[in-house]
Amino acid sequence: MGKMEKELREKAKELLESGEVAVVIGYGFNRRKTRVTPVFITDPAETDKLVFNALCVNNLSIYLTRKYKDVQRIGRPAIVAKGCDIKNIVVLITEGQVKREDVYIIGMTCEGVAYKQELLKEKLVPEIMPVKCHNCDVRNPHVTDTVIGEKSDFTPPEEPTGMVFDKIKQIESMTATERWDFWNEHFTRCIKCYACRQLCSLCYCEQCITEKNMPQWIETSAHPRGNLAWNLIRAMHLAGRCTFCGECERGCPVNIPLNLVNQKLVLTVKNAFDFESGYDENVHPPMIVFKEDDKESFIK
Amino acid sequence: MSEEAKAETTDSKESFEPKIMAFVCNWCTYAGADLAGTSRMEYRPNVRIIKLPCTGRIDPLFIIKAFENGADGVLISGCHPGDCHYTTGNYHARRRWIAFKDLLDFTGIDMSRVHFSWVSASEAIKWVELINNVTDDISALGPFMDFKRLNKKEAE
Amino acid sequence: MPRIGVFVCQCGNNIESTVDTQKVADEAKELPGVVYSCSYKFMCSSPGQEMFKQAIKENKLDGIVVSACSPHMHEKTFRRASEAAGLNPFQCEIANIREQCSWVHHDPTKKVGTAKTMDLTRMTIQRLKKNRDLTKITIPVTKRALVIGGGIAGIQAALDIADGGHEVVIVEKEPSIGGNMARLSETFPTMDCSQCILTPKMVEAELHDKISLYTYSEIEKVDGYIGNFKVTIKRKAKFVDESTCTGCGECWEKCPFKAESEFELGLSKRKVIYTPFPQAVPNIPVIDKTKCPKILKDKCGLCAKVCGPQSIDFTQEDQIVTEEFGAIIVATGYDLMPKTRFGEYGYGKITDVISGMQFERLASASGPTGGAIRRPSDNTEPKSIVFIQCAGSRDEKRGVSYCSKICCMYTAKHTMLYRHKVHDGQAYVFYMDIRSGGKRYEEFVRGAIENDGAMYLRGRVSRVYEKDGKVIVQGADTLSGSQVEIEADMVVLATALVSRSSATTLAQTLGIGYDKDKFYNEYHPKLKPVETVTAGVFLAGTCAGPMDIPESVSQGSAVASKALALFSSDKMAREPITAIVNTKTCNACWDCVNSCPYVAITKEEVKDRRGNVVRMLAKVNDGLCQGCGVCVCACRSKAVDLNGYTDEQVYAAIATF
Repeated sequence: MGKMEKELREKAKELLESGEVAVVIGYGFNRRKTRVTPVFITDPAETDKLVFNALCVNNLSIYLTRKYKDVQRIGRPAIVAKGCDIKNIVVLITEGQVKREDVYIIGMTCEGVAYKQELLKEKLVPEIMPVKCHNCDVRNPHVTDTVIGEKSDFTPPEEPTGMVFDKIKQIESMTATERWDFWNEHFTRCIKCYACRQLCSLCYCEQCITEKNMPQWIETSAHPRGNLAWNLIRAMHLAGRCTFCGECERGCPVNIPLNLVNQKLVLTVKNAFDFESGYDENVHPPMIVFKEDDKESFIK
Repeated sequence: MSEEAKAETTDSKESFEPKIMAFVCNWCTYAGADLAGTSRMEYRPNVRIIKLPCTGRIDPLFIIKAFENGADGVLISGCHPGDCHYTTGNYHARRRWIAFKDLLDFTGIDMSRVHFSWVSASEAIKWVELINNVTDDISALGPFMDFKRLNKKEAE
Repeated sequence: MPRIGVFVCQCGNNIESTVDTQKVADEAKELPGVVYSCSYKFMCSSPGQEMFKQAIKENKLDGIVVSACSPHMHEKTFRRASEAAGLNPFQCEIANIREQCSWVHHDPTKKVGTAKTMDLTRMTIQRLKKNRDLTKITIPVTKRALVIGGGIAGIQAALDIADGGHEVVIVEKEPSIGGNMARLSETFPTMDCSQCILTPKMVEAELHDKISLYTYSEIEKVDGYIGNFKVTIKRKAKFVDESTCTGCGECWEKCPFKAESEFELGLSKRKVIYTPFPQAVPNIPVIDKTKCPKILKDKCGLCAKVCGPQSIDFTQEDQIVTEEFGAIIVATGYDLMPKTRFGEYGYGKITDVISGMQFERLASASGPTGGAIRRPSDNTEPKSIVFIQCAGSRDEKRGVSYCSKICCMYTAKHTMLYRHKVHDGQAYVFYMDIRSGGKRYEEFVRGAIENDGAMYLRGRVSRVYEKDGKVIVQGADTLSGSQVEIEADMVVLATALVSRSSATTLAQTLGIGYDKDKFYNEYHPKLKPVETVTAGVFLAGTCAGPMDIPESVSQGSAVASKALALFSSDKMAREPITAIVNTKTCNACWDCVNSCPYVAITKEEVKDRRGNVVRMLAKVNDGLCQGCGVCVCACRSKAVDLNGYTDEQVYAAIATF
C-alpha cells in the first residue's frame, strides 16, 4: 500500500467519523485485485477498501448527478477525484447540479492512468495512457477540499499532442465525401445502447432528448439516420461543456471514435470563444452566452 | 411522394428542382421576404419558409430534421447583428451556428447545402438574390444523396 | 379526429392570377383532418369574414387554415373572426401564399404557384394539428410616460399626454429643452418667430403639474416591456441646486471664463457656468465641468460667492435614478452633417462659409449679432450671399442618399430674411430641384424669387474658394448651359440632416431598429408610422427621418394618442407567445435562466409540506417573456418550449416538407 492510499483512507475515515460526509465515493479492488470498481463507503471501518493507482481511469463524477439518486439520497458525499474528474465536477457546479458546499472533493495528484484497465500489466507506461494524460494540466488537482499525494511537476506540451489531434487534422484534410463516409461507417455501427450517455457525467438530463417523443426529434432505432442525428446532437449538447474525459469513447462497445468529435468541438470552442471547460465554476458555459463581436465568416 | 421515389425520378439535372427549407425569424427575414412580395419581385419557387420568432429559436435539430425529410438545402436567416427584435437572440444563434457548422463540416455534411444569411426587413433584394443563388447552387449540386441514401437504408 | 377548415383567398386577382385557388381548396379537402375547404374572392372583406364565421359554425370546425396574404397583414383579423365564431383564436393559422408565393412567382400557367401554395397549405395544416388553445396574457400598465428628447416633438407629446391626465418625464441631454427649433429665427411658411411660438410651449411644459423635466440627463438602461418599463436615467451633475436657484443670472454674468457656445454653433462664446440661451427652460445654469477651474483645480469659485441663494454646489455628483414607465417616446431629433464632409465647399476652412443653422443664429434676434446679418470673418454686412442647397443631401458618394426635405424651404426663407434685413443684398441659390410640397410652401418659394429677388440657379457648385476677402463660387447653371462664377461675401450651405451620433446606442438600449442612415425604423412606414417593433416604444419627429416642424408636432400628438390609448385601461392583453417549462423534465441547469435576454426566467424552489426545498425548477415570468425562444434551444432536454412555436408545431411543418 502506497503513501497516497494510506493518506486517502485516513482522510476518508476522518470524514465519515466526524459526520462531515455520509459517503465516500472512490475506487476499490475487485476480488482478484485485477481491476478497480467504484465503491461507496459509508462505514468508517471500511475505508481500507479505498485504493488509488493507475487503474483508476473511471470518472466517478457521474455518481454526483441526478442519474444516481440512490447515491444522492445517502447524504453529503466526498469524492475521490483526479484533476480531470474535477473538471466535470466544476461543470456540474456551474450548471447547478451540485452545490460546491455540498460535495467534499478529495483531489488526487496523478501521474496518469491506463486508458483501459486491462492494458495495465506490471507498470504504467506512456503507451497505454490516454491522450488526456499526456496533455494533462491538472495533475495537481485544481478545485479541491483536500489534496492527497506529492506535488506533480509535470508540464504539458505547449501544443496538445496525441493520436486524437493527429486524426482530427487528418479528417480535416479529407474531402467532405471522405469525411461523410468515414463517419457514416462509424455511426452506422452505433447500436443505440447509450453507453456514451450513461458514462458521461454531463449527460445528466432527467429525460434525454432521444426519450422525448412529442416530437420524436431523434429516432431511437439503431438506424443510420437516427444514429447520425443522435451523435451530432449529443456532440452539440456537449459543445463548450465536454472536458474531454474520454469516458464515452472508452465505454463505446462498437468503438465509435467519439473523442474525435468531442475534441473537435473543444478546439472550436477554444478557438472561437476562447473558452476551456472545467476550470472555473463561476463562468457560464460558452454556448449560452455570446460576445457582440463573435467572429465568423460564413454568415452572408 | 416518398423521398426515394422523388430522388429516383430526378436523374437528370435539368428536371431537378431542389427542395430548400428556410428557417427565418419573424421580424427581419420573414418581413424582408414579404417585402419582396409587396414589391412584386420574382424569385425561384424552391424555398419553403418556416417562420420562427427569432433565430435564437432555430435549433440545430431543425436542420438535421430538414435533411432527414429530404431537403436538398437548408437556409437559415434572421436579423443582422445588433438589429435583433429581441436584442440578443441572433447573437445566441450565431454562437450556436459557429459550433454547429464546425461539427457538420467535420462530420462530412456538405456545407454547400447549408446557407446562413442576415436579411433585414428592408432587404427584399438581398432575399431575392439569396434565394436565387442558393437555388442555383443547390440545383447544380443535384439531389442531396447523402441523407437520401441514409433514408433508403430503412428499406433494406 | 380534428375538424379543419381550409380557406383559400383569391385576393381579387392578386393570388388567383398565379394560383388556382379552387384546385388548392379541392386538394386540401382530401387531406386527413380537413372537413371543409373553399376558395373565396376576398377573405378579409366583410362578406368574406361573415362566410368564414358561418362556415366555422356550420361545419363545427375546430381548426382553421387561411391561405392568404402574410400573417403580418391579417393574422389578427382571422384570429378575431375565429374567436367571434367560438373558436380559440390560436387554432387559426395563416399560410402566406401571397407575399411569399403568388406575388413572387409569376408563372401565368399557375403551375408553380398552385404547387407551392399546396405545399404551404399542407405544412400549415400539419402545424395547426399541433396547436394548443392559448389564452391571452393580461399585464398591468404603469400609466406614466417617458419622453426622450425635449425638442418640439417631445414637448408636444409630453403636453398632450399630460393634458390627458398622466405623468410624463422628459429626459433632455442639454441643459434646456427646446431642441433644434430653439435655434431657428423665423419659421416657414408663416414667418412667425420660432422662439415666439416655441417658448410658450416650453414654459407650459415646465409649469405643467404632470410633467417633470430631467434636463442634462441621459438614458442609461431600459429594462422591462410595454406597460412596465424600468428605465435607468443618469442625471448629470449641474453643480447648481435646482430647488433653490432663482435663475437670476448673477453667476454667469460674473463668471470670468468662456468656452465655445454649443447652442450658437461656434458663432459666439458662452460662460463656463451657463444657460445655453436666454429663454432656456428650466432657467437654471449648469457648470461645464470640463472647463471650470474650480472643479478642475480648485481655483476661482466666484459664482458661488456671488450666488444669493447659495445654490452652487461643486461637490454635486451624477445621480442615477431608476423609474417606471408604461410607454417610452423617442424624440431625439437630428444632427447636422459634420463640417469635415464638405471639402469642396470650403466649410470649416473658409470662415465665411457657414451652415444654414448658423445663418439661423445670425438672423435670430437673440443670436450673437442680435439679428443683424454679419460675416463671421470681419463682422461686415454681406452684400451678396450664395446659398448652396443639397449640401450633402442626395449625394450618395460624399453625403447621404436621401433628401433632407426641409432645406428647399428654409433656404427660400433665408433669402427672404436676408433681403428683409439687407435691402440691397443679393441672394443666389444653387439648387438641384425645388421641393416645396406642403400647404402654402410653393407660394412661399415663389415669393422669395418674385418679391424678394432671390436669384435661383439650377446646378451644382464645383468649387468654393477665398480671394481678396471674397468667397468665389464656381458652378454650373444647367438651365442656361453656362458656367457661373459669383463673387460672394458669404456662402450658406443647406447641410444635410443626419441622425444623432448616439442613435445606434440608444436603439440598442431600447431594442428598436434603424435604417442604413441610422434613422429609427417605424413598425410600418405607412400604417404604423410612430410605432416601433418594440411594443410600448414610439417615435416622434426627426429621429425617424427628416421632417419639418408641422410634421414633428403632428407626430408628437400622434404618439401621445398612442400612449393615452395604452393608458386607457389598467391592464392590457398580450399575445400568449411565451415560454413554458415542463416541470417533470427540467434539470435546473439554468441554461435558460442564463441565456434569457429578458431575465424572464427565474430559479424556483419546490418545497415539501414541511417547507424543505426538494428540488429547483426554472420558472417563466409571462409578463417579462417576449417569446424569442432562445431558452428553448438552450435547453438540452427540451423541458422548455415556446407557445405558438412549439417543437411539435415546427416538427410537424418540417415533417410535411
